Amino acid sequence: MSGNMNRRSFLKVMGWSGAGATLAACDMPTTITLEEGKEEVVSYLMPEEYVIPGVGVWYASTCTQCEAACGIHGRVREGRVLKLEGNPDATLNNGKLCMMGQAGVQGHYNPDRITTPMLRTGGSLAPISWDKAMAVLQEKLGAVSGDRFAWFTGSISGHQSALIANHLGAMGSKKHYVHEIVNNAVSQAVNRDTLGEAVPRLRLDKAKMIVSFGADFMGASQSSVHYAGQYAKFRTNKERGLFVQIESKMSMTGGSADLWLAIKPGTEGVLALGIANVLLNQLKLGDAGIPSDVRAMINDFGISKVAEITSVAGDRIQNVAKLLVDRSPSLVLVGPSVEGHAHGYDATSAVMLLNHILGNVGKTIESSGNFPFPQLMAKQGSTADLLAFAEDAKAKKLDAAIFYGSNPAYTAPESLGLTEAMAAIGFKVAIAQFPDETAMMADLVLPVDSYLEDWGTQVPPIQSENTAIHVQQPLMERIHEQTRGLGDILLSMLKQRKNDEYNQFEDYYAYLRNAFAAMPSEVKKSAKNNDEFWNGALQTGVIDVKPEPKTLTSTVASFGVPMSKSGDGNGLHLVPSARLGLFDGRHANLPWLQESPDQIAKVVWDSWVEMHPDTAAKMGISNLQLVRVTSAQGSVELRVVLLKGVHKDAVAIPLGQGHESLGRYAKGLGVNPLKILDKTADSKTGELAMYSTRVTVTAIGEPDALSIVRMGTGAGDSQAGRKLVVTVPVEQVKRTEGV
Amino acid sequence: MSLDNILNHWSDFRKGSEEGGHHNYEHRWAMAINLDLCNGCNACSIACYSENNIAVVGKERFEKGQAMHWLRIERYWDQPDKVYPEQGASFLPMMCQQCGAATCEPVCPVAATYHTPDGLNAQVYNRCIGSRYCSNNCPFRVRYFNFYSYYESSWPEPMEQQLNPDLTVRDKGVMEKCTFCVQRIRTVKDKAFMEDRKVRDGEMVTACAQACPTSAIVFGDTMDEDSMVSKLWKKHQVERGVYQKTKLAKKNTDLRGYRIFEELNVDPSVMYLERVREDI
Amino acid sequence: MTMATEKDINEQIAWAKINTDVLKSMENPRPAYWVTLFVCVAMVSCAVLAEYIQYTEGMGTANLNNPHMWDMYISAFVFWIGMSHSGTLLSAILHLIHADWRKPIYRFAEAMTTFSLLTAGLFPMIHLGRVWNLYWVLPYVSDRGIWPNFRSPLVWDAFAISTYLTASMLFLFVGMIPDLAICRDNTTGWRKKLYTLLSLGWVGSDRQWRHFRKIYLLMACFLIPLAVSVHSIVSADFAMSIMPGWHVTSFPPYFVAGALYSGCAAIITLFILLRYFFRFEEYMTLPIMEKTCKLTFAIAMVWTYLNLIEFASVWYGHDVYNKELLIAKATGAYAWIFWTMIFCGSVLPFALAVRSLRRHMPTMFVVSLFLNLGMFLERWMIVAPTLSMSQEPHQWDIMYGSIVEWAIVFGSFGWFGMLFLIFVKVFPSVSMYEVKEMVFHRKRSAGEEDLERMTDHAKPATQTTTGGEGA
Repeated sequence: MSGNMNRRSFLKVMGWSGAGATLAACDMPTTITLEEGKEEVVSYLMPEEYVIPGVGVWYASTCTQCEAACGIHGRVREGRVLKLEGNPDATLNNGKLCMMGQAGVQGHYNPDRITTPMLRTGGSLAPISWDKAMAVLQEKLGAVSGDRFAWFTGSISGHQSALIANHLGAMGSKKHYVHEIVNNAVSQAVNRDTLGEAVPRLRLDKAKMIVSFGADFMGASQSSVHYAGQYAKFRTNKERGLFVQIESKMSMTGGSADLWLAIKPGTEGVLALGIANVLLNQLKLGDAGIPSDVRAMINDFGISKVAEITSVAGDRIQNVAKLLVDRSPSLVLVGPSVEGHAHGYDATSAVMLLNHILGNVGKTIESSGNFPFPQLMAKQGSTADLLAFAEDAKAKKLDAAIFYGSNPAYTAPESLGLTEAMAAIGFKVAIAQFPDETAMMADLVLPVDSYLEDWGTQVPPIQSENTAIHVQQPLMERIHEQTRGLGDILLSMLKQRKNDEYNQFEDYYAYLRNAFAAMPSEVKKSAKNNDEFWNGALQTGVIDVKPEPKTLTSTVASFGVPMSKSGDGNGLHLVPSARLGLFDGRHANLPWLQESPDQIAKVVWDSWVEMHPDTAAKMGISNLQLVRVTSAQGSVELRVVLLKGVHKDAVAIPLGQGHESLGRYAKGLGVNPLKILDKTADSKTGELAMYSTRVTVTAIGEPDALSIVRMGTGAGDSQAGRKLVVTVPVEQVKRTEGV
Repeated sequence: MSLDNILNHWSDFRKGSEEGGHHNYEHRWAMAINLDLCNGCNACSIACYSENNIAVVGKERFEKGQAMHWLRIERYWDQPDKVYPEQGASFLPMMCQQCGAATCEPVCPVAATYHTPDGLNAQVYNRCIGSRYCSNNCPFRVRYFNFYSYYESSWPEPMEQQLNPDLTVRDKGVMEKCTFCVQRIRTVKDKAFMEDRKVRDGEMVTACAQACPTSAIVFGDTMDEDSMVSKLWKKHQVERGVYQKTKLAKKNTDLRGYRIFEELNVDPSVMYLERVREDI
Repeated sequence: MTMATEKDINEQIAWAKINTDVLKSMENPRPAYWVTLFVCVAMVSCAVLAEYIQYTEGMGTANLNNPHMWDMYISAFVFWIGMSHSGTLLSAILHLIHADWRKPIYRFAEAMTTFSLLTAGLFPMIHLGRVWNLYWVLPYVSDRGIWPNFRSPLVWDAFAISTYLTASMLFLFVGMIPDLAICRDNTTGWRKKLYTLLSLGWVGSDRQWRHFRKIYLLMACFLIPLAVSVHSIVSADFAMSIMPGWHVTSFPPYFVAGALYSGCAAIITLFILLRYFFRFEEYMTLPIMEKTCKLTFAIAMVWTYLNLIEFASVWYGHDVYNKELLIAKATGAYAWIFWTMIFCGSVLPFALAVRSLRRHMPTMFVVSLFLNLGMFLERWMIVAPTLSMSQEPHQWDIMYGSIVEWAIVFGSFGWFGMLFLIFVKVFPSVSMYEVKEMVFHRKRSAGEEDLERMTDHAKPATQTTTGGEGA
């Protein structure tokens, strides 16, 4: 060491360099710098009561990623929600959660959320304050009354639904359009007519055989996790359940079938009649309760005729019918590809008729009972409401509408003329979390909390044996200061109309506390007081309620011939298939779900059209070729994926892509097949016949393997002789495991 | 790795892998996956993304084969001669098999991947220099390399708030793979230690097993005789250790349990149960 | 040798002429030299740019992906390691068996070894995900007691290559000392300083020659097994894995044969280039060319034989994955590469068996380039198809490198060329003292005791030029 460096100066140098190092370390992009002084450093020496540094705590809440409303647990650490899991206390999903539920955090933390109220001024949306927004709302809605005002939502339940009803009441309107693209409205109508209950409880676990006509019950359905749990029981029962899936495009659920039958699109009802024919005429099952015209129709559809119409081999039909008798009780399910035709009601009736003949009603189809709080019950969406909305708006019957939880601007086919309809509405409010197509059309956009920031109650439309209300509580503080809860927005709006009635509630939390306190004692059970009941409900996330028992009637209503009345028609049948993941397109902005391959085609980040190799060969189209799919309403351009899991007369385009907005992850990817659907509706229920559109496919480009991204197709989807997934016959398992 | 250690414990090193090799195991975490229940829904995969801070790579990089999905669902078609796939699709959840005699371990030049006393193939991200030999030598191809840095592209603000602080976000140049949710194992073991008891069966669940809607994945400790996974392995006569032993010891070859690439003798910790189909 | 009616070298060359010829080659570069050097530097610049992109963005820019964790960088690494073998290994072997004809060509061949090793050594760094931690593969003393994994062939690689590089450079340097002294005595300026430093005070005394001979022989003995082991160890990178197409017992000799093969081919290329550029017709004579060609042909046949052995053992073996891969190599997406490799590696060398072709320099130049192309493809066929088609079919993929990867591999040739071009202008690329020995021995064996005349022509100052052994 040089002579002029003494101990003191050495320490000085050390001190400065140490401080320098610390300051340098502060200069990380994510660290708060002292200079800015904008944020306070909160010491964990004195944490908030509920924050245990380094320890994750699980809080119960409810998932709203689809209408199923599964119970969830959210892991919260240092005030941030990190991971969602199923709530084991919720018997609906038994602690399980699907991919869409898991990805809920990505919606919550999405970088493209709407963070401030926006008002359309001079053609574009400009940020405004909440006070201004509420003032605009008061002014504009004050000028409207009666049925010229409407709410347009997705499936909705619980106290939010009740408040919407109250708001409609306050506005003097009855117009609440509830719209879902993935729905079962037609079977609800059929069930109402035959069983006396729209949503009976299906017991897959009790069935020994399930024949599903296009029901993707474990995939894009009304309650996929619930049905998947039941399916697991069905498969692991002492006698292993037998599962037959009949559809035109293999759904995710169809991938699990023991027997997957490709059927000519739109002829499912005919096949059901064919099976009924075998059951009644060959196997001599009783035909009690079947109206004579239906009986005559069944007789009319003999096996050979049915086989010709449906393209399902006669011996298959016979075999399935025989097995249905052998494996009793069975369960016959019906899905959207049966419902989505002009003869959808008839076809659904024909399929449900099988349950009647087989005596499944009361065994594997049970009554859900009467839910004790009808005002909280789920209002399930339909496409009939979308059609009605478009008609009403175009007829200039609406002056103001509020949109929440639904994206009609994306889901409506071009043929409905929704752009025109929206333009005809004077004042459109979107209560939205994301800048979706509908929000971008609105005049006033109100940013809503994510479901992980908000209070609420959800009533699952499909209930397990334990009927329950699921409680939704904020798992963390708002990420964005300017968002507000749906309940809070609704209360503010109600206060604008009926201040005296709603002024007592400071916010939606207070409203819920009050509503919970008002619940009857049989719901509160052993809770000593309201606080205990409230806390218990938050802890478990579930309020068990006892529905009033009810028995189903097993009747058969008359229905028409379940076939296209307009003849066979030309062109291929378009199957707009929804899938677990992007679902109806609402989750296209969640990167996990975009990057998660389609379960069957294994495509990521894109749209594609599925074709049978034989069909494609006939048209000279090769795999991954760019094609134009044209309907009477328009056309889309996308790539072909050849799959054998599509009927030769059908092409399938998955839903979910083709967004014009909805943020960085969704925008500009793929195409939206809903846009080219025909306007045809089911003759009885008025539901959009989504599966009845005919298309032609023309090649417009050369095959190019690099422009569509599929996972793991190197060996052409084959195991190349390896023992990766081995399939064994059930007899072998019976021998060894006795199942 | 000191000389003393080698000399003093020579007999330990000489044990075959069916006897646990040179490890004194505390646990041997394992899985049993019932392929008959797997419906390919991807819930496990997304749960894994969520739990383990896995980067989303985007379309272009997925296209190049640079995706990071630690748990992928492989889908195969079985009936090439049929016009339609009449027995549905075959789904296979594939993640790191945590082999007892893992081929990835001996080839790492810096010992960044090694065998833990829990029977896991640990990957020490800090130690990894990115030679990628481990991935080349993995017959299951379940090791994923950070070909890029994903801090900004995968977690734009405020997405980064979702990141699980129990484990790191891996930077470019580092290999990563399924860890059997080692951070959860750590937490559960610590808790059991503090309460002076053994880890209970069912206490430790991986994110994928937790999420699986059909409960196709069972996770547990095969050293715990009473655990569900032990019972399943025993029931299906699949044993730890080498090929000859398991194959010949399996008295009833009709039993459904099997391990993939058993012939390679890598002693995977994941037992699959064969898919069942009724031929009608 | 008895068969050769033609003499390897013109025995009438005066020793002084040898000095002037060789020393002249180190001066006044011709325009062609500058053009070539410029091209090489340009190629290196491309590679540096590509590496910059790859370093800042990530390895993904090379199109590497899940099955293809290794690709052309590793092929190029093996290629350059192989290339390095002929120089030192052949020089050492030929030295031990007193094959005189090695003398005019061994210097540049050894230089080639050193530079291809320097090139090869770059590739593990380019290839590594976190190159700044490269030193972790070395067993340095760490206070945490952390060692590299001695079971890993990559660690063996690090040891083997660093040893081989050190030994090769020493071998090259030691063999050059007498020549450096000649240079020292004939130059001025910075060259003088450099050669003074490097010639280590060589005056050509008896004692120095005695020590020199001993150490040179010793190093030659040491290098032969080392060189063989180096490429065996490189082959262990593959052979120690369990991948089909890699887990092959015959890989060590196969790699060594391949290495000698590509090295010999490169010697032919450079031989012709030097002969042309420096007008070394008198030293790099056709008979030497012929001998090199014959040796290359022999090695080519060994390589072909080992290939056939490998195919046969796979074909008749029970490893289904291996067999499947072999069939895929010959018929699948990479078939054109496979058959080009077979053509270049096993068919084309028959040109070397034809005397008239052997003596036709332009033909030999083209053939030698194609031989090396074949050897490059061989390395690629070892690395990539296995990864494309391993046990797990879900991850099968076909991959060709990105522009970044190509630029770096392309640039490595420029890098090698650049180093070599600089070398030939700084150091004597033909061993002067050994060519003199050659002339001397031949003359002596021919009975022409005309030593006096020869020494007279040498410059008086260069005592060093006296052939030590003969004196």
